[in-house]
Amino acid sequence: MSVIKLDKLTKDYGGGRGIFDLDLTVEQGEMMGYVGTNGSGKTTTIRNILGFLKPTRGAAYVNGLSSWEHSSEIAAEIGYVPGEIAFPDLKTGVEFLKCQAEFLGLKNMNYADELIARLQLDPRANLKRMSKGMKQKTALVAALMNDAPVIILDEPTTGLDPLMRATFLDIIKEEHKKGKTIFMSSHSFEELESTCDRVAMVNDGHIVDVCDVARIKNRPEKEFKIEFHSRRDYLRFIGGAYEIIRNQEQYNQVTVKIPAADAAALLRSLRAYDVKFISELPYTLERHFKKVLIEKKEKETHEKRN
Amino acid sequence: MHVIEVQNLTKDYGCGRGVFNVNLHVDKGEVFGFLGPNGAGKSTTIRHLMGFSKPDSGSTKIFGKETFNKYYEILGDVGYIPGEIALPAGLTGKAFIAMMQDLQHCHNQKQLRGMLDLFELDEKTLSGETKRMSLGVKRKLAVVTAFMSDPDVLILDEPTSGLDPVMQENFIGFIREEKKRGKTILLSSHIFSEIDATCDRIAIIKDGRVVSEFIADDLKHASRKFYKVTFRSPLGKTVFFERAKNKVPSLTVLSESDAEIEISAEDKDLNELIALLSDISIISFGNRKESLEDYFMAFYKEDKDFKGALK
Repeated sequence: MSVIKLDKLTKDYGGGRGIFDLDLTVEQGEMMGYVGTNGSGKTTTIRNILGFLKPTRGAAYVNGLSSWEHSSEIAAEIGYVPGEIAFPDLKTGVEFLKCQAEFLGLKNMNYADELIARLQLDPRANLKRMSKGMKQKTALVAALMNDAPVIILDEPTTGLDPLMRATFLDIIKEEHKKGKTIFMSSHSFEELESTCDRVAMVNDGHIVDVCDVARIKNRPEKEFKIEFHSRRDYLRFIGGAYEIIRNQEQYNQVTVKIPAADAAALLRSLRAYDVKFISELPYTLERHFKKVLIEKKEKETHEKRN
Repeated sequence: MHVIEVQNLTKDYGCGRGVFNVNLHVDKGEVFGFLGPNGAGKSTTIRHLMGFSKPDSGSTKIFGKETFNKYYEILGDVGYIPGEIALPAGLTGKAFIAMMQDLQHCHNQKQLRGMLDLFELDEKTLSGETKRMSLGVKRKLAVVTAFMSDPDVLILDEPTSGLDPVMQENFIGFIREEKKRGKTILLSSHIFSEIDATCDRIAIIKDGRVVSEFIADDLKHASRKFYKVTFRSPLGKTVFFERAKNKVPSLTVLSESDAEIEISAEDKDLNELIALLSDISIISFGNRKESLEDYFMAFYKEDKDFKGALK
């Protein structure tokens, strides 16, 4: 049974806004990324999964229970970090975390303490005065401390500095390793690529692609951009056997596409040249989704024309 | 005279928190990048520049005027995007824009239209209430209202946090245009690519003190690059290191695991490096970009004094 399941999930806000006929499943232990432009429906989807919103049509399920009808039951199973954090009117972080623990029926605060230490959070600080980063950390501790089997994160790293982001992601990766089922939205393709098993892209309220991250990483082909010091070397190289996909003559620069296994062979043949620089152009999640979007747009304009 | 000037600014919040002896300046037509970890004092410095907070000592000036005392003479020419957006409730997006226009005493509809188009805020979105807007839309609205009066000075506190990658690109394009038009811009950000693409000079602040300041181009033209190599076997790695000792003098090792290494080398040694690697069985070869990031991470690291515990 899927841990999270969207079945024709629709929330229509009118005027074309909302989410429409979303179908998606997240399996036990899987980490699913969720990406899309501002206003495309990421947070709306997440709120439906949590049972905060009543779907117009279709449904979201967590562990087989419909989110809207069983919101209080599924709440115990889910650790959630919202995109915009609004804390209740309490004095300090400690007070908030204790209040959350009470609500969850959690007695043992050892894991909370461990998380606090790793995040280098001082939870005694005044909740109202906390900086963005501190709020985010406090929210993460609250979401993870009772070891819930499902974790839902809405743009958890937005506004964090790179180092804090890394710590944050390390903790989430560990939870993933422990077998938690995770659903995370983000604007950072790099981040999703390094953490998720699969990534779904939502665009204008529709899921347009679900992509297997391993397939992006282990592509059978590689692209390298090479610049030569001399014109002569450049001309000699383009006369060779490599498949050239881009040629920037004015810089003595070429981009070649080779089978991934041939990287060593490429280096060997470059021994005979004076190379100014060489860099790999990795096929990233970002490139993949851009391609999907461009194809979608082309199809739409094509349909409009006919 | 510098357009923006911070001199020996100190604001002590106690317990080592605050900003201490911060000096920086931004000249006309310049984009100044302000980087630092969360809690380092970026927003505190910026809030002093906006006249929201009174320095314990030192001064913050815009157009040569003290910001805390003369804010009313200055702020008409300053566009500001705060780090955390709090929009007034009970207003539609449109009403909010109208209110801000009245407050700014400026109704430049042409500029407004241009900004709304650039950041893709349509009629439909703007007729919704601010309370119901998603974080990204609120951020866009803050960007538009900061720029719609076409101010000469832009003070931007993590302006693109929460914007999607397409909007971030639009934003970078906009900043570059504004720079060309002679605007003076102070930009704090965590996004290296954004700083890299726009800034002339960059300062890093950490624990309330400016720890480094430099010209962006110096870093961009760095002749050292980063590479990642995966060998077919750990043995290949050992062989590589042995041979590299003499042949690639500029080689430094950033990280290594079983058969994978991250290294950096000067460009002049590149051909030697290629020759060396082509003799050894490797699975993959690539290079890591963002030398800017590597540079900054060194400043970001280092643990802070930690006193947290629930007990």
